[in-house]
Amino acid sequence: MVSTMKNRFTARVPHCILTIILVLSSFGSFAQDYSGDAANGKSLFNSNCASCHALNKKMIGPALGDVTERRSKEWLVKWIINNQELRASGDAEAKAIFEEYNGSVMPAFPNLSETDVEDILTYTIEGGKPDDGGGETVSVAVEEKEADNTVLLLVLAAVLALLIMLLVRVKNVLKTVKGDPTSTLAEDANVITRTALKNPKIVTLLTIFIAVIFFQQLYLALMAVGIQQEYQPEQPIAFSHKIHAGENAIDCNYCHYGARKGKHSNIPSAGVCMNCHMYIQEGTNTGTEEISKIYAAVGWDKENSKYIEGYEQKPIKWVRIHNLPDLAYFNHSQHVTAGQIACQTCHGPIQEMEEVYQYSPLTMGWCINCHRETQVQVESNDYYSKMHEELKEKYGDDAEITVEMIGGLECGKCHY
Amino acid sequence: MAETKKYWKGIEELTKPESVKGLAENEFNTEISTEEFLGNKENLEGSQTSRRDFLKYMGFSTAAATLAACEAPVVESIPYVVAPEEIIPGIPNYYATSYFDGHDYASILVKTREGRPIKVENNKMAGINGGANARVHASVLDLYDSTRLNNPLINGEEANWSDVDAGISRDLNAAVASGKQVVMLTSTVMSPTTKKLVKEWGAQTNGFKHVMYDAFSYSGKLDAIAAATGKRALPTYKFQNADVIVSFGADFLGDWIGQNVSADYASRRKPGKNMSHHIQFESNMSLTGSNADLRHKIKPSELGNALIALYKELGGNANGGETNLSAQVKDAAEKLRKAGSNGLVVSGTNDADVEAITIAVNKLLGNGGTTVDYSNRTYFRQGNDAAMMQLIEDMNAGRVGALFIDNLNPAYLMAGNSKLTEGLKKVALTVTFAEKENETTALCKYVCARHNYLESWGDFMPADGVYSLQQPLIRPLFNTRQTEDCLVKWMGKNGTYYDYLKANSAATANWKKALHDGVYKASTAAAVVGDDEPGFFERIFGGDDTDSTEQSETVSGGAAVDIASISSRLSKTKGGAYEIQFYENTAMGAGILANNPWLQELPDPITRVSWDNYLTISAADAVELGMENTNESNGALNGSYATVTVNGKTMENVPVFVQPGQAKGSMGLAVGYGRSAAGKVGNDVGVNAFLLMDGSHSAEVKIEKGTGTHGFACTQLAHTMMGRKIVNEVTLDTFLNQPARGEGGWNEVTEFETFKGPLTSDETNLWDDFDHQTGHMWNMSIDLNLCNGCGACVIACHAENNVPVVGKEEVRKHRDMHWLRIDRYYSSDMTEEVAEEQGISGIDMYAAMEKPSSSPEVAFQPVMCQHCNHAPCETVCPVAATTHSAEGLNHMAYNRCIGTRYCANNCPYKVRRFNWFQYEGNSKFENNLAMNDDLGRMVLNPDVTVRARGVMEKCSMCIQRIQLGKLTAKKEGRLLKDGDIQTACQSACDTGAIVFGDVNNKESEVFKLKQNERMYHLLEEVGTQPSVFYQTKVRNRA
Repeated sequence: MVSTMKNRFTARVPHCILTIILVLSSFGSFAQDYSGDAANGKSLFNSNCASCHALNKKMIGPALGDVTERRSKEWLVKWIINNQELRASGDAEAKAIFEEYNGSVMPAFPNLSETDVEDILTYTIEGGKPDDGGGETVSVAVEEKEADNTVLLLVLAAVLALLIMLLVRVKNVLKTVKGDPTSTLAEDANVITRTALKNPKIVTLLTIFIAVIFFQQLYLALMAVGIQQEYQPEQPIAFSHKIHAGENAIDCNYCHYGARKGKHSNIPSAGVCMNCHMYIQEGTNTGTEEISKIYAAVGWDKENSKYIEGYEQKPIKWVRIHNLPDLAYFNHSQHVTAGQIACQTCHGPIQEMEEVYQYSPLTMGWCINCHRETQVQVESNDYYSKMHEELKEKYGDDAEITVEMIGGLECGKCHY
Repeated sequence: MAETKKYWKGIEELTKPESVKGLAENEFNTEISTEEFLGNKENLEGSQTSRRDFLKYMGFSTAAATLAACEAPVVESIPYVVAPEEIIPGIPNYYATSYFDGHDYASILVKTREGRPIKVENNKMAGINGGANARVHASVLDLYDSTRLNNPLINGEEANWSDVDAGISRDLNAAVASGKQVVMLTSTVMSPTTKKLVKEWGAQTNGFKHVMYDAFSYSGKLDAIAAATGKRALPTYKFQNADVIVSFGADFLGDWIGQNVSADYASRRKPGKNMSHHIQFESNMSLTGSNADLRHKIKPSELGNALIALYKELGGNANGGETNLSAQVKDAAEKLRKAGSNGLVVSGTNDADVEAITIAVNKLLGNGGTTVDYSNRTYFRQGNDAAMMQLIEDMNAGRVGALFIDNLNPAYLMAGNSKLTEGLKKVALTVTFAEKENETTALCKYVCARHNYLESWGDFMPADGVYSLQQPLIRPLFNTRQTEDCLVKWMGKNGTYYDYLKANSAATANWKKALHDGVYKASTAAAVVGDDEPGFFERIFGGDDTDSTEQSETVSGGAAVDIASISSRLSKTKGGAYEIQFYENTAMGAGILANNPWLQELPDPITRVSWDNYLTISAADAVELGMENTNESNGALNGSYATVTVNGKTMENVPVFVQPGQAKGSMGLAVGYGRSAAGKVGNDVGVNAFLLMDGSHSAEVKIEKGTGTHGFACTQLAHTMMGRKIVNEVTLDTFLNQPARGEGGWNEVTEFETFKGPLTSDETNLWDDFDHQTGHMWNMSIDLNLCNGCGACVIACHAENNVPVVGKEEVRKHRDMHWLRIDRYYSSDMTEEVAEEQGISGIDMYAAMEKPSSSPEVAFQPVMCQHCNHAPCETVCPVAATTHSAEGLNHMAYNRCIGTRYCANNCPYKVRRFNWFQYEGNSKFENNLAMNDDLGRMVLNPDVTVRARGVMEKCSMCIQRIQLGKLTAKKEGRLLKDGDIQTACQSACDTGAIVFGDVNNKESEVFKLKQNERMYHLLEEVGTQPSVFYQTKVRNRA
């Protein structure tokens, strides 16, 4: 549903959809024995358990979808909060499972309360069930939302048409009363157009109007050449920034670690993906399909949870979205680290984008405008300490020091 | 009556009336070659395409192409699968390594970007040769030379390594079985581990010999040192301790014995009471001679006698010594005597006798340990000419069964010796290890494709106590193998040479630290060699078989040297009417990197000619021989051709360059040119002087004028400053005792008479000043006393700023693209004072001033964009493509430039360069290796734009480095420190002549230099207020 929406203009729509999914999913049916809050359980599960467990398949640890059927609630609570204690107490079940998984130690979770555990367990029951048609509701909602305007316009047009018809009727009635010959709507229109076209003033004005519109459009079209704002190419992996940066709130710098250090905000290597996806083997949107592409790139044997030896790694060919011409020098760390600019300032609401598109025009005018308005971190950075004193002398004590004032509009700062 | 007189339109109408008639009827009497572009005539006639159809199709395809061009291309971005920990895209890494090509050695840092080596920098930690010369700076381009061997060759055909290994093993066994010699012929080997490996490998065969031969041999010098000190190794010369330096033909600032002494020399050239005094006796105008305080012209054959005369003046007993320079020798002797142990005499010939006298002179001065250090030897040159000659003889006599040649191109270096090629044919197994095809590879059965030095492991011991490592910075680009790896493999050892090196290296215990630093200080020589036996080097690899077990530390340690017989032999040296002195020039050296276009285009510091070598002759000889240099209307330099006969070998069409300061009766010819198999860039550039050379660096020569004229690519037309203050010069005496500023001072600021009284150009300017007090203000100081013209900065600038190479024809049209040039000026015999004395004035005086003196003093002046604060270029740009920055720089926005060239015309310094053509990706400029294939492009600096056709470019003061330096400070949240930012030219300059920094930082070196009384601006009177300033040149003529 979501991944099929390629239209760049509706790029922000998925956000609404997912919000709706979230809201809907919290009104699920309740389990009999387990009456915890599944929504809270989900978030706890994702943050504490998901790196080793999935609901419906074996990962580092066993699948948990039917764990409530396999084990007693009491046992599960004990095991989850401190499994070592349980094992030490001589619990046979606990020992057996420990040996089954070759002695991999599951950490203790003393921070979880019994209610939390119940929430999680409730989620293992709820989360394993198929979606109860929430998606359909959403798509209807979207259609309605899109239809709203159209309907309104259609109604408006109909009203206008009705009004015209009414007026023509009224006019004809009046003429009939007066005894003049009546005319149809088409005839009226014809007469008005002819009269207008015979009037040189109207023709001139019309010509000027058309010419102005034409040249304005031409100008806009030409100025847009090379600007790829809202460019949203299809990527080799349907990676969702919304899930990673938005829902899971992973810091941008974790993957794009180059942004704060160097010129490029690097596209992370597949190795970085593997830090998490070694454990998280199933995605929210696409299940195993997209994640398996990472495994194919690095050579990860999912079954045995290890790298395949001697595997010929296949680099992932991402499509570059933000293309600055070679004549302009842009350094990410200058903006991210020295300027303390948030990524979103230029890249837009990345944390809401299922599929990334170019948010800013990346034109020189856009750069310059920001350099005019943005204040320099003169207070917090000792680099400026001496310069700041000099600038205060020049512009006054409480002047706001913008990038422009320290030479941010000079050609050679970006073009060399 | 009307006359029927026939007027001919030309002589042709009279002599060939039919052709004129034909022309009158048919203007194009040769058929226009429409077929060529319209294809087959029959097809064309049979075609149904009408003119209208053609236009339709063309219109449609043009429209389609236009529409298609609107669609932006899809750019793929491919990250690492698993990113290496040390690489962050966009951030350079620096690795320490060593450069050695058999001739030049330097300890260097190499900048890599995303794993690609792109720039060579000096290694400041190096104990010796930490300053790379122009060639080493350019060497990084050779890594990406597409003419490198991709695979090993067998009989000239590409082969795979297993076949090569098997073939060599089979043939070697046959050679050993035949009982013949197995010989390893190499350049000087400075690597103790390689030597050990070669020795071990050689021990597997009987009759193994290792012969070393140097491209430009100093074998005679080594022999003399061996005779005098018992050890065949060069001493360390300590120019930093020398008060008085007297050089007899030694071009120690250019190419000499491999030791880079320019930084040490420069440390004593700072004006003041401590400044050294340098006297040069030489025939050619060398880089060293042009930096000397006193330079005396002498023919090569007379050097010996002059040295004997000096020896006698200093109280030695010798025969001969008659010279017409006795007064100058006497003067030198007096100064040397005064300097005592702080005097230094060096000589630069391959003649053992000359060196013997030099050693004796130094002994008289008692400078052992002070300026000449025999207890710390250097190993840059170890070649042995006698051993080489013996090898050639053995080969011709069929005594050699197998010959392995590594890092040497004897077929080129001994081109004049036909016995070499004949001998090679008589050797059953010939193997050469080479990076590229060269003159020798064509003569060898097996060619083992070598790694580039940036792909190799290695270690070097350039001098006692100094040890350096070489590490690969990139995976081998081709299917190549380094020589040592071949030997390891052929010996059947486990592992690679890396394992062997690590196990045998002197730095094994501190491996990582040594790799990081590139150098490792070992306390004693023996520790470095990794061999306890004394005399390790000589016994195994030195030329003389006599084993010297005593480690001679002083001159007296060796056998008694019979000065009397040496001097009588030397004094009888006969010189001819004309003598030729072979030399290595700055760009090419011995011609190893001949295929490097950066070097080919580097103008020679003295002649300012690129892409050529030539016979330098004195103006007097030129007149005598009827040879001349002339300029074409566009200034391009032409020269006569000469036919040169040396040692019975004749070479025709040697271009002649009239060189001021050339000793009369002598001529110079640079080696390193005239390669026939160097690659597309280096082939057939110049003439091969090795064809004429016979071991000795000089010889008698017969010369005749040839026919035709040669076109030079000379970048400087003016010889002199014509009486202007371009290079401000002053004598040491004046500098010490007279005021600099004020009227009549030696560094007076030009003033103009105005109605307000005399004002300087700064005070009379028309423009509003920029605010240069806030923030940074970049300035650069160039010390003309420290600059010796070596050209390393020019190459560094080339590499840093993606400067294109344009080729000889374009340089000839003055379209060279160098952002930084080093102007050279000769003094003239005519000055304003002389003119007044002789009653000459006006145009006659200026005409005379244009003529350089026959014994000129020389000054070098690096000139780049002066970053004027009232820049004439900025005011004339119609599109504001060149603008001023608040930090004192003159910016150039290439994409804004529309190519009017107004700026270049209005620039008083002529530092702007125009892209007349597309030099990138243009098959017409194939010589521009760095921009014309995918491999070459890997050397480009990704932080600097590659300029397109039709735009102006110029020195940006390495703004990418400035921005990076500032950014680093911002990221670390600290003030910018002096020295954080170094321009490429500055970091390449090992004499410290170029200092860059922020003059608003009162602690900075450049601020202090700006206050120096030697400081002056170039063409100050123009009022451009440059950000670059110069330090007055001070000559210690006393």
